[in-house]
Amino acid sequence: MSTRSTTSADVRPSRERGARQASPPALNRQARWRTLQNLKGASLSLPFLAGFALFSIVPIVMALRESAYAARSSGGLGFGDKTVEFVGLDNLARAVVDTTFWSGMGRVALYAVVLVPLTQVVSLAMALVLDAARRKVAARFRVALLLPYMVPGIVATMVWIYLYSPTVGPLHSFFEMLGLDANFYSSEMVWVSIGNLALWGAIGFNMLILYGALQSVPHEIFEAARIDGASELRIALSIKVPFVRGSLVLTTLLSIIGTLQIFNEPLLFRAISPETITKDFTPALMIYNQAFQVGNVNYATALSIVLAVVIGIASAVLYRISSRSES
Amino acid sequence: MNTTTRRLVGAGAAAATALGLAACGSGEAEGGDTTGAASGPVTIEVWGWNAETGVQIADAFNAAQDDVQVEYVLQASNTATQTNFRNVMTTQQGIPCLVQGFAPLTTMVVNGWAQDVTDVVTASEGLYNEGALAAAKVADRYYGVPTGSDGQFLIVNTATFEQNGVEIPTTWDEFLDAGRVLKTAGVDITNLAGEDPSTLLNLAQQAGAEWFAIDGDSWTVDFLDDATLEGAEVVQQLIDEDLVSNQTYQDKPALYSYFDSGKMASTTTQWWSLTGYQTNFAQSAGSWRAVQIPQFADATTPVTPGRATASFVPQGCENPEAVMAFVDWQTTAEGIEAGRNAETAAVGFPVQIPDPSPYVEEVVPEGFFVDATEAGDVIVEAQGAAIGKFELGPNYDSWFPELQDQWGKAVAGQITVEQALENVQEFVVGDLESKGISYTVAD
Repeated sequence: MSTRSTTSADVRPSRERGARQASPPALNRQARWRTLQNLKGASLSLPFLAGFALFSIVPIVMALRESAYAARSSGGLGFGDKTVEFVGLDNLARAVVDTTFWSGMGRVALYAVVLVPLTQVVSLAMALVLDAARRKVAARFRVALLLPYMVPGIVATMVWIYLYSPTVGPLHSFFEMLGLDANFYSSEMVWVSIGNLALWGAIGFNMLILYGALQSVPHEIFEAARIDGASELRIALSIKVPFVRGSLVLTTLLSIIGTLQIFNEPLLFRAISPETITKDFTPALMIYNQAFQVGNVNYATALSIVLAVVIGIASAVLYRISSRSES
Repeated sequence: MNTTTRRLVGAGAAAATALGLAACGSGEAEGGDTTGAASGPVTIEVWGWNAETGVQIADAFNAAQDDVQVEYVLQASNTATQTNFRNVMTTQQGIPCLVQGFAPLTTMVVNGWAQDVTDVVTASEGLYNEGALAAAKVADRYYGVPTGSDGQFLIVNTATFEQNGVEIPTTWDEFLDAGRVLKTAGVDITNLAGEDPSTLLNLAQQAGAEWFAIDGDSWTVDFLDDATLEGAEVVQQLIDEDLVSNQTYQDKPALYSYFDSGKMASTTTQWWSLTGYQTNFAQSAGSWRAVQIPQFADATTPVTPGRATASFVPQGCENPEAVMAFVDWQTTAEGIEAGRNAETAAVGFPVQIPDPSPYVEEVVPEGFFVDATEAGDVIVEAQGAAIGKFELGPNYDSWFPELQDQWGKAVAGQITVEQALENVQEFVVGDLESKGISYTVAD
């Protein structure tokens, strides 16, 4: 800013005279020019804003509108046209007291409580190990660790369904060799199977972010700590981890948002363990069933709104906790 | 923005506008040509997911006559068709004239999607078998086009049966008895997949069940009638006495390897599964025999389960006669021949015509059955006795996932099949109530 005003002062000497005299018209011109510069800068983000408005804001508004309506049958045999009538907050009210929905929410919340910290700990450990290694070695392992994340969700699930198969998959025989009878298809192991799959996919992305943050830690501190006699492990835990705190909050947040909306894995595992994974097993599965199987888009959007609010609250709580403990 | 930049932007904008106008212009020229020939053939759009032969059948039809031009729009899958069709009916733009059945016909009627085509179908009734005509009806009116169902029959691994000295069953009681003997030898009589309730639906249909009946202006709901319970009893015994395996269709390689191993004695199937079996059964190919599906002891005439999801003419299509012309043509020898798959050289089995026996040779795979001719006869017989219709009610889309859930629990032994049916009936009733549809529950 200071540079700019110096330049403008060089180009427009009259302005400086105006400033010295402190006359209102000159000040206004300066203010307007500054606003114009600000707007020009802000306009660089217009493409993003346009996309965001079109693909995020507009659908959200449409969803809010859909949830305020309901389709009523014409009665009798149910043949013929349905009438769409305005019901206001009825769908949302029904969603809020829907026990099936909330038990699904409880399930994924419990699953998230276990999986999210586990994912963060494993990703952080991987990132720290990579950081401690030499550059070349680290580069090779980085790619390998990122590969699972690059595999599309449905494809990954199908690969793991094969791996888990008690009949043709390798894992069952491997565990049998160790003396364990691990049937990944059984209903008791469903969450373990899904969790393992999710963890495998998520490590790469989280590790990458944390590794990037670790690179920006100033090395002088390590030197000082080493001189003071601190071990590598101590350095890692007491210096590196606190430094990447901000990124850790980010990855945790993203992990929570993703885990609460889990969909691919239960969808494909439903055929394997149909007595456990019902059509309303997770909130996302229930919304999908309502929207695309049952065809009740109004109720599906109401459920989506409730899910979004729950995720928003969870994210806000996490953010508040982390920023409070920071200060 | 300096002058150079402004000039560039201006040039770019001019170029874009010019291109746009040019495209518009050529489009209009094309449009001009077709509107000039408006009195020519009627063009109808047909949706389906038949990737192998859909387009070639349409092309052959177009070449064979001048009155109707069919445009076959290939859909990615059954579910994709459902999504796309839902969108089209919401926007009311580009509604096709014939859609392959992706959901039960009654659902189409309830959603106001299917047109009443009784007038055009009645004229062609003679071309179709009873099952195909029944499948196209809802409440005695034709809302779909006659669509043949795939008659179920039983294939048995003769090696396994002979090894254990068991006779091939002809009734469900005999089937259960055979299962008990085979169990002592560590063999399952059949596979019962926990995610697929079609076994129960087939048994119920075969026993003569009627889960939904129309009574004037109201539905009669009955998931627990005697026929259904008879079928449920068969399944319950299979589960309780552990006479079956529970391989899932999701894990296909495991499923096929299990079917092939000789550890599974028999399975109900239909004509289109045979090629897949032949390709994947390395060990047991050649030992299989096709027999008529077991009947219930109190059956007067043999019947075959089989439900067709009828293709239908959507509301908003203005040429149902043209659609019928296309559908009728597919019952002719020419039409059936047009469906010959170039890769496999096999013809699509015409399940909608009264006598498909000239074509059955094509669908019996080589080297799979002990006696291919006998297998062909069984297939034709199964088609002839196929029931075709099983009323699934006005809210099938809602209750079928519930049936899947309950069936999964029943197969896992957590609840009985009867309890599962009770739960489904309760769900159906609650759903009809919330939708404001009239119903009564039978005693």
